[in-house]
Amino acid sequence: MKLHVNKSRNLWWIISSSIILAGIISMAISWQLLGAPLRPSLDFVGGTRLQFERDCSLPNNCDEEVDINIVREVATSQGLADSSIQLIADRETREKNGVLIRTKTLDVEKRTQLESALSEKIGTFDSAKKQIDTVGPTLGRQLFNTGITALIVAFSGIVIYLSIRFKLDYAVFAIVATFHDILMTTGIFSIFGLLFGIEVDSLFIVALLTITGFSVNDTVVIYDRIRETLKVNPDRPIVEIVDDAVNQTLARSINTTATTLLSLVAIVLFGGETLKNFALALILGFIAGAYSSIFIASTLLAWWRERQEKSNPPSAGTNEQLTANS
Amino acid sequence: MQKQRSLLALIFLLVIAAVWVIVTIPVPLGLDLRGGSQLTIEVKTTPEIKQIGERELEAVQTVLSKRVNGLGVSEPVIQTAGNDKILVQLPGVDNPEQAERVLGGTAQLEFKTQKQNTEAQLFALRSNRQQLQVKQDELRSGNDAAAIEKNQQELKTNQEAIAELFASLETPLTGKFLTNANPLSPEQGGRGWSVSLQFNQKGGELFAELTKNLAGTGRSIGIFLDNELISAASVGPQFANTGITGGNAVIEGQFTAQDAQDLAVQLRGGSLPVPIEIVENRTVGATLGRDSIQSSIYAAVGGLIVVLIFMVLYYRLPGVIADLALIIYALLTWACFALLGVTLTLPGIAGFILSIGMAVDANVLIFERTREELRAGKSLYRSVESGFYRAFSSILDSNVTTLIACAALFWLGFGLVKGFAVTLAVGVAVSMFTAVTCSRTLMFLAIRIDSIRKPELFCPNLPTSNKAEVAK
Repeated sequence: MKLHVNKSRNLWWIISSSIILAGIISMAISWQLLGAPLRPSLDFVGGTRLQFERDCSLPNNCDEEVDINIVREVATSQGLADSSIQLIADRETREKNGVLIRTKTLDVEKRTQLESALSEKIGTFDSAKKQIDTVGPTLGRQLFNTGITALIVAFSGIVIYLSIRFKLDYAVFAIVATFHDILMTTGIFSIFGLLFGIEVDSLFIVALLTITGFSVNDTVVIYDRIRETLKVNPDRPIVEIVDDAVNQTLARSINTTATTLLSLVAIVLFGGETLKNFALALILGFIAGAYSSIFIASTLLAWWRERQEKSNPPSAGTNEQLTANS
Repeated sequence: MQKQRSLLALIFLLVIAAVWVIVTIPVPLGLDLRGGSQLTIEVKTTPEIKQIGERELEAVQTVLSKRVNGLGVSEPVIQTAGNDKILVQLPGVDNPEQAERVLGGTAQLEFKTQKQNTEAQLFALRSNRQQLQVKQDELRSGNDAAAIEKNQQELKTNQEAIAELFASLETPLTGKFLTNANPLSPEQGGRGWSVSLQFNQKGGELFAELTKNLAGTGRSIGIFLDNELISAASVGPQFANTGITGGNAVIEGQFTAQDAQDLAVQLRGGSLPVPIEIVENRTVGATLGRDSIQSSIYAAVGGLIVVLIFMVLYYRLPGVIADLALIIYALLTWACFALLGVTLTLPGIAGFILSIGMAVDANVLIFERTREELRAGKSLYRSVESGFYRAFSSILDSNVTTLIACAALFWLGFGLVKGFAVTLAVGVAVSMFTAVTCSRTLMFLAIRIDSIRKPELFCPNLPTSNKAEVAK
């Protein structure tokens, strides 16, 4: 079986554009509703997130499940009516013994007050199962800025590296493909943010950076093959060469993505709360990365080279001289 | 052949060394895994100190270290982060609230004299203060945030007005003259909890001077903590000649046992030269940390096993070799973590698991290439050879791009993110090594053994015409 990616390239382009467009629309809606294109976690806007769990080794402490309305009442009485409250179930017993509260930034006094008020109403908490995350608003902004800077620096570094290793048009399309993956991942997370309230934290930026690295990998492997074939057969039509390169590297693209996804699925299944969304972002990004390298990066390059050939006819045999230096 | 033997010996040695390192040097766990608090403390500027320099940071760090010692936490870490931040790690702390309260206060203690003819004013202001405080408590139980804010503002105005009525000595008698501070229980010293103080000699002299001036006048000593009057006491006329000597004093406020204890720790540690603010607190209970370790082990082992199985099923003999290389990879990487002193955090583990996936990539590239060459009719030896040779440029390019991303994360990284960048980068570097040395050496070793030199073991569905060629 052979995959003719170039034959139906308009289809691939339409698929990608519509997913990205949906993401952009969602980001616009998010911007209207939340003031940010994605739902930001307290890492970026500041705030306090408290997780308490009752100590069930005490007698009668966990007789009844926690009632979310009581928790809400307590929060309101503390002047925290607009905080988001969730109950958490014990992993083994499935009983709701824990609460998760996300509020504006609370200092230690207000936090202790809230904790003792809650404890009074719903039972004694186990201090070994407590989790506190507090980030001041200014620090949140700083974290966000460093995150974005890291993203830009990494991106520029990769552009420079690729431009040294490959011809400029290869580098440009590899970057376009990477940009495609980043946009898709953020777009889908924006939709998740609107639909399921999934937030993006500093690990999301890490995920984006990792996706950038991986996605460029996938594209580079295919371009590497195109470069190699062109060196041997400079006169074959570019569309054929690209189709061949995609097919020759297809097993690799799929297998590498598959093995990486296997590890990531393991993280989603067993890895605990903190890493779940991180792994989810990576999974989306890697799938987008494999897809874009096979269907987008390759077809874009073929389309561009075809146009080039049409505009300056065959005399330009030197056109295919590549800056390969491996 | 000679070269491969020595490579094989090298790999063998490295594995032994790695196992030895793993057994002897434990990889330290981050607070998110062992439980504890991590506080980021921002050092603030004041009108007097407009720029935070190394000197201020160092002074703050010293005071914080003393206070942390007062908390009795084992193996605390206190280090500067950036230009104006200090990172405090308190592993296994069981009362994070106390830690935060004790660390966060400036603890500027000062004994002041009341100015002349202000008695009536002080009395009025203090009773006003009491009313405001009662009102504040009432408001707190309701939820009118605006009213609380307004009352808070009034309290502050009141506090400033009180401070106006007192004057410092020529040499201000501050906390820096203290040699000791201890909480006093109600049984030991009068009404409610209090804090006993001991001055050094100079402090004792200043205190005597202060009390001498005020004795019998009806004016009070004002004890201020962070510019807030916490207690005011008058001095009896019998001290008019000498003042209170001996260098001992007691602060009576309306302290709870906890307050008295916190204040004593702060005073012993000394006051901070500049105000600070705790801008980040990440606390994880010990049990939660243990749960995270367990689930990450499941994830790592689960991920590894599934990948190992996949490789054997799909790539057959080379898959087995890749698996061996992968296990060597995991051992070497872990040993590198131990040697480099990488603190393992949750994102760090994710980086490690992810790098397993990447380590496979190099092998996949090589084997796919080998298969292709086999299908093109080359001999087994030549196919393997060119598989490694041709795949190398792709492996290099792809790993370099990932390393660039890691470098960006590391240089600009913050807390959690750094751990991920380090583990992923170490993983990628080690995986380059294992793919081009381990897999390669083992592969060449394997194709020397006649009984397994069967093309079916390398590539399924090879056209029969090719097989004879391959076996050569």
